Amino acid sequence: MAACLHDHACEDHNCAADWSLYNHIDIPKVVALNESVPGSVKSVFKPWEQRLETSGGFLESNEGDPELLIFIPFTSDVKIKSISVVGGADGTSPSRMRVFINREGIDFSDAQNMQPVQEWELAENLQGVLEYQTRYSRFQGVANLTLHFPDNFGGDATKIYYIGLRGEATQNKRDVVATIVYEVMPNPSDHKTKSETGGGFSHVE
Amino acid sequence: MVLESTMICIDNSEWMRNGDYAPSRFQAQADAVNLICGAKTQSNPENTVGVMTMAGKGVRVLVTPTSDLGKILACMHGLEVGAEANLAAAIQVAQLALKHRQNKRQQQRIIVFIGSPVKYDKKVLETIGKKLKKNNVALDVVDFGETDDEKPEKLEALISAVNSSDSSHIVHVPPGENALSDVLISTPIFTGEEGGSGFAASAAAAAATGATGYDFGVDPNVDPELALALRLSMEEERARQEAIAKKAAEESSGETKDHASSSNSDSVMAEAEPASNASADDKRDLPKEDEDAQLLQQALAMSMDEGASGAAAVADAAMAEAGADDDELALALQMSVEDTQMSGQSDMTKVFEDRSFVTSILNSLPGVDPNDPSVKDLLASLNGQGEQEEKKDNSDKPNTPEDGKN
Repeated sequence: MAACLHDHACEDHNCAADWSLYNHIDIPKVVALNESVPGSVKSVFKPWEQRLETSGGFLESNEGDPELLIFIPFTSDVKIKSISVVGGADGTSPSRMRVFINREGIDFSDAQNMQPVQEWELAENLQGVLEYQTRYSRFQGVANLTLHFPDNFGGDATKIYYIGLRGEATQNKRDVVATIVYEVMPNPSDHKTKSETGGGFSHVE
Repeated sequence: MVLESTMICIDNSEWMRNGDYAPSRFQAQADAVNLICGAKTQSNPENTVGVMTMAGKGVRVLVTPTSDLGKILACMHGLEVGAEANLAAAIQVAQLALKHRQNKRQQQRIIVFIGSPVKYDKKVLETIGKKLKKNNVALDVVDFGETDDEKPEKLEALISAVNSSDSSHIVHVPPGENALSDVLISTPIFTGEEGGSGFAASAAAAAATGATGYDFGVDPNVDPELALALRLSMEEERARQEAIAKKAAEESSGETKDHASSSNSDSVMAEAEPASNASADDKRDLPKEDEDAQLLQQALAMSMDEGASGAAAVADAAMAEAGADDDELALALQMSVEDTQMSGQSDMTKVFEDRSFVTSILNSLPGVDPNDPSVKDLLASLNGQGEQEEKKDNSDKPNTPEDGKN
């Protein structure tokens, strides 16, 4: 609910370093529902200095439907302190934001029915100076984040130019499944034994 | 190889009893469904497919999305045909079934077969389409069976409402000779966006050329190496033909004969080498006499048309095959190549036209009967030239052994 303005001159304080959680986002796996251009959601995560630039594209919802749902997986668990959203002009900025943590495959009906971990009333933030603080204790081990923007300030569609996340990254990973050799059919080349590649006791690696 | 979860909605309404698609609309639909399930599960082992009915006893899910093809095929048995299809409810149920898929990483897709008339408004269909698009569900529609004025329009409107970046398709299949499944094989519903799995591609080739009309008469699925070898040798022939054409153009502008022919024969030998090994092994296995004779005819015809280098190439291929096992033949091969180098263009043709030599070669090819009328005719036409070479080659011509080649 609380928003805060940067009460310092941004040139002194290195804002860019703070808003660097975007480095830990697994960009290829970011998914948005109800976006008008598939894949445009990826352009919304960028360095803080580029938050007002629209040359890389921006996220827009479909005509006549302002709802947006963004799924953000991270490459390692993170702790999120605050979130900043830069919307579009003329009522296309989102007016509310609801977030869910560590839940995959949420769609609109789920998002509308479930209790969010936290929700905020947003204000129009065209310059990107507003940030919304989280209840830090609830955002400690975040492997993925789902943002739901149910409506906007009256525009036909919702436009988002930038989403910034501030916090810390830990080295932990939530699921370790990625390191297992997973095969549907046996493939001997995946299991070279030491005897094939050289000497030593053989064991399947 | 898109990771996908698909729900197939079958139309088992009263209109499916009609026989305008052989044997009945319902059967044609069932065949198409089987084919699609096979293609989906083959293209990615983690894909899942589910099946549900739109009419009959009501909108119900016969099998929830699974990768077990047997289960899917089994559920199609014993379906009753009757009542009316409820398109809107069916799409909603399909969406719900996909929402509760086990692997959330799979893309969601619904395939709907509509054979009965569509009683919903365009507006209603567009709203349904938008809802699907919002939830990132792709939709494929197969429009067959009943055609009234508005049905194609309504369905097109539905698809354009759902479509985002060409992931949704609609196919209109008019009644006719071709089975429903054959028509579908070549559509993007089957082949997906990237342009197809191997299953779809080879099935498409089969459908397109007719049941027995494969390239070279060999089913690429049954014997891929043979098909590949045959295709390679055809392509090399084509390449040689082009080389000949180019060479002819060059010579007409006055390059030296010797230079051109020797360089050509060198390249021809090099080309024959890799082809011969493959074709030597595989040509032994050619099952059909007709196909073999046909191929040989083609090769012979080409050599007649294009002249020396073509003949040299064919001769090399044919003779290299025979020479693979036999030293004497290999010697003959060498000599015939030398002939080319020495005297230029038409010598190889003459060697090849030596009737007895050719006959002995043909004897060694399994499945080719020199008494075959078509082969005889060709040999007769070749007979007109080459007295000189006959003498020379008689001395070296080996008796081709009937060893283990047949």
